[in-house]
Amino acid sequence: MASFIPNLESAPDTCPEFKRRKRRTTDEKPASFHSHQRNQRIKRWRTQREQHIYSSKLIQALRRSRRTSSAAKEVHETADIVLAVLAKGTTRWSKAILTARKMARHKKAKVAANTRLRKPAVSREKRKTPVVQRKLKVLGRLVPGCRKLSFPNLLEETSDYIAALEMQVRAMTAITEFLAGSGPQPPADRLASNVNS
Amino acid sequence: MSSRRSRSRQSSGSRITDDQIIDLVSKLQQLIPELRGRRSDKVSASKVLQETCNYIRNLHRKVDGLSDRLSQLLASTETDSDQAAIIRSLLME
Repeated sequence: MASFIPNLESAPDTCPEFKRRKRRTTDEKPASFHSHQRNQRIKRWRTQREQHIYSSKLIQALRRSRRTSSAAKEVHETADIVLAVLAKGTTRWSKAILTARKMARHKKAKVAANTRLRKPAVSREKRKTPVVQRKLKVLGRLVPGCRKLSFPNLLEETSDYIAALEMQVRAMTAITEFLAGSGPQPPADRLASNVNS
Repeated sequence: MSSRRSRSRQSSGSRITDDQIIDLVSKLQQLIPELRGRRSDKVSASKVLQETCNYIRNLHRKVDGLSDRLSQLLASTETDSDQAAIIRSLLME
């Protein structure tokens, strides 16, 4: 029943060869490829179908982890991990979320990772004012795994991350409303009214 | 864009023109609901970045609240297997 996960992104940017190349080199590709990619990215996270898939995967994951603990923090972590998994390794923020999870289990590795991340970036972007620079830094810290990115790459990650977060909010809101609605009452009746409304 | 050079895996070190910055900032502006309708020459780059950070923090907070709510709801449902099956079947139309 659960093995119906469609191939959401059959775009070239998921194949290994592309992943190995840096994102910046996409400028050298033909224009048609760019616009195709851009359309894929614009639709991403915004379709009903993706939201449904995310919701169902999230519920499955929550059910599985329910046996251990259902604290708010765990729910949030689970929600983030399912979101990152759905990104299918195409973005830095999603990889960072999954890596952080792995690292948390090996504390030594986590300390090493933080040390690596804290190294100051060599920056030649002196044309931006210090104010803008500062805000860029803050933004880089908010998006997982994006502390040392250049402005264009950071922007790309940010736009994908924001779209994903928005979907996360929509999905979790729907799930919460549904659970809250069908909680105290017999599921059958409540469902009928929910579906019809 | 032709001024970009491929260097190491670290993405620092590429020179970015002012025009590029303006272009990217306006693109970012379109993602932020609060700033979407405004003309890009009326909103400074710093403001766009600030609002972006605020928006992301806002979304994080919303997810926090929803996680809290969800955890309470999940804890209170006894027959989760029934409900989960119902939810799944509904979601997979």
